[in-house]
Amino acid sequence: MAAREKIKSVGPVALSGPALFSALRSTWNENFACSGKQACASRVSHGPDFRDQKWPRGLHTLIDPLAAVRRRILTNAFLGGWTKLWTWILAGLIAAAVFSPKLAWAVISAGALATVGAIAAAVLTWRSRPSAYEAACRFDSAAGLHDRVSTAIHLGVIENPDGMILRQRQDAVLRAGRVNPETLFPIRMPAAGRRAIVLGVAAAGLFVYRIHYKPPIVALLQTTARSQLVQSILSPIVHAMEKDLQRTMALVNSKPDSPDDKVRPGKSATAPDDLWKANDDQGNKTEGGQQDSQEANAGDQMQEQPPSSMQGGQGEAKPADSEQQQGGDRQSQQSNNGSDRMGGDTQQQPESQDSENSHQSLSQSLMQALKNILSNSQSQQANNQANQKQPNSPGMPQSGNSRQPGSGEADKKGESRGMSDAQQKATQNSSSGAGSQQGSKELKKDQAALPVNAVPDRVALESNGFKEQTRVRMDGGTGTARLPVRDVSPQAVAVTNGAEQENIPARYRLYVQHYFEHPDSGQK
Amino acid sequence: MTGSVRMEGQKGDNPLGQQAESLAEKMQEVRSEISKAIVGQGEVVDGVLIALLAGGHVLLEGAPGLGKTMLVRTLAQAVALKYSRIQFTPDLMPADVIGTAVVQENGDGRKSLGFQPGPIFTNLLLADEINRATPKTQSALLEAMQEKQVTVAHTSHQLEEPFFVMATQNPLEMEGTYPLPEAQLDRFLFKLRVPFPGREDLHDILDRTTQGAAKVVISVVDGPQIMEMRQVVRTVPVAPHVQEYVVKLVLATHPEGKENLLANKYIRYGSSPRGAQTLILGGKVRALLNGRFNVSMEDIRALLLPALRHRIILNFEAQADGRTTDDLLDEIAGKISQI
Repeated sequence: MAAREKIKSVGPVALSGPALFSALRSTWNENFACSGKQACASRVSHGPDFRDQKWPRGLHTLIDPLAAVRRRILTNAFLGGWTKLWTWILAGLIAAAVFSPKLAWAVISAGALATVGAIAAAVLTWRSRPSAYEAACRFDSAAGLHDRVSTAIHLGVIENPDGMILRQRQDAVLRAGRVNPETLFPIRMPAAGRRAIVLGVAAAGLFVYRIHYKPPIVALLQTTARSQLVQSILSPIVHAMEKDLQRTMALVNSKPDSPDDKVRPGKSATAPDDLWKANDDQGNKTEGGQQDSQEANAGDQMQEQPPSSMQGGQGEAKPADSEQQQGGDRQSQQSNNGSDRMGGDTQQQPESQDSENSHQSLSQSLMQALKNILSNSQSQQANNQANQKQPNSPGMPQSGNSRQPGSGEADKKGESRGMSDAQQKATQNSSSGAGSQQGSKELKKDQAALPVNAVPDRVALESNGFKEQTRVRMDGGTGTARLPVRDVSPQAVAVTNGAEQENIPARYRLYVQHYFEHPDSGQK
Repeated sequence: MTGSVRMEGQKGDNPLGQQAESLAEKMQEVRSEISKAIVGQGEVVDGVLIALLAGGHVLLEGAPGLGKTMLVRTLAQAVALKYSRIQFTPDLMPADVIGTAVVQENGDGRKSLGFQPGPIFTNLLLADEINRATPKTQSALLEAMQEKQVTVAHTSHQLEEPFFVMATQNPLEMEGTYPLPEAQLDRFLFKLRVPFPGREDLHDILDRTTQGAAKVVISVVDGPQIMEMRQVVRTVPVAPHVQEYVVKLVLATHPEGKENLLANKYIRYGSSPRGAQTLILGGKVRALLNGRFNVSMEDIRALLLPALRHRIILNFEAQADGRTTDDLLDEIAGKISQI
């Protein structure tokens, strides 16, 4: 109402923006800003801009030290806020130096952020600057003045005091003059200062490092990607995805002119399972031998590149190993011949089993990868324990993963490698290519226990360090992977199940799986 | 109290400032005179002087033989005030305290009822063992302590200023006593606990009381001077943040506040507004006695216990936990920030 009256009093001619604003401001000041004269007078002394106020003559000597106190308080507050900001900026710079390949933008943005932050910190500090009264309270507290200065500042609005107020003011001025505010309020290092220094040193070191090298996290990821563990984790997934993609592509390619869709009675032409199966059957027919040969070549390549750790202390075991490798190559070649026959036999398998074999899902691959991780750690522990048990083995200078358990045990028993190879050859001739480099006695027991169609086969695995567990049990009833066998009856479709795969060391399991499942192995 | 009452700065033509300075000097002399008879008990003496200048009354609590009565008597001598003592007993009646109307015969032989003032008509009243009187008799002091007057037979009689009541009570013998009601307690400015003297003080007491003659206490100030000092005390300024601190302290003793967890748990009734008045007024006197012209936080903190310990009523849980008002007040003051 008062504002309306004021606006009316101004008149319609002068009703402009500034006039309206001034009327509103005056109304606000009258009604809300100050409740009374005393309150207004008191508020003047408590305002932040006490430099601009008209202080009584006796208080000027009190205002100067208070201004110094306030400067110190503002400086410390600004430094504290800015240092906190710098801490975050430095943390961001460190992150950029670790992750980002380009540092220019990071540095530019950090500089801009620091500048903006400094301005913001200055503004915020200035907005929250202490009033003369607050500065006086802090000054009293720090100097032990028993609230003399704050009381004098509070009563400073009285122009010509008398009596006790004047006496109190004189006392405050006298006591405050004896105290040096700059010693009471030194410019201190902020609480986050040390943290900022450490981060700054770290950031500088990282930037110096980045001048010559890649981002550390990139190098770490590359190193990790090359490691066997990650490959064992990722390759089943990638392989399954590739397989699905290839099948999808093959399905797309074969769908328009597939004669089987019309020929086969009782089967839906659009059923994806059938199409997959048909494609698999064709692939088995045409690519069976090529796949196996490709697998064997891959196995040869892997065998030709033994781990570097194994090359150091081969010693006496090396010739025998080379013979074993050659034996393994021969076995894989022989198994190729056998798989050619088997490729034709696979059509005689039940369709349900065939579809199961051909539809390994991605989730199964993931589960298999997890199993690989677990079994890898278990096998490493077992290898470490075995290494601890055989530190003085004469024929085993290797240690760690390059250990060859089979050869070590053979050395203990006094058996030669030639004997082992001879037994392998005998076992191959007698039992269709399956063999164990550790010895044939156990294998014969296994063969006796197996059913008729479960023919053990020698798997062409990486020869180094795989002598102990080269036997793959085959069961025609369960499993998912078809195992090409040599010199077996046409029904012998060797498969491996998950439980048997757990007996295979994890580092070779990928190869075994790759060997069994790779569809393009026969093309090469 | 530091004892340093020499005020510095420009004196100039400032009568009130000079009065303040002379007040501090006079009180220092009173202290010196009291110390002739009372050994030690510095805080008690300071509290008594502060209460005297603030216009309040003091309740002294202590074991027998600690010099409570001696302190009051010595103070009366040092300040040249009329002094009377009432020994409170269970059969003491209010008329025995405030006086009564008696039949008087004038010169013409006519008889009329006239007021016979009781021992309360004095400047400095020692109510010894006040908790042994019945509540009826205790309440006879209420009007005198607050209004500085007594009413007998529908006639009010003003008491002479300064009127200063110093009551004592024994905390040990509670049998046959009547604890003071809250209304009565609230009228005492301070409740001072008289501690047992230390080793050195005890040696000094023995030397003074068993050898030679007792020292004579000289009157330093009189009643009118004390009344002037009371006026000077009220002119001492208080900064807003000090007053805010007092308000916070008093409010923190009330269990009604949601933030006062301690008071919620242990306190049944908090301090009355008289507690805040006591803190401010006592702080002013203390500031002047310490050579300052403003009330500080330290003054408030120093007077917190004597000013509020008898204004807080603890609940059963506090008694069960063995908590005292002094403990709780210290804890409350520690939780309230001073700035």
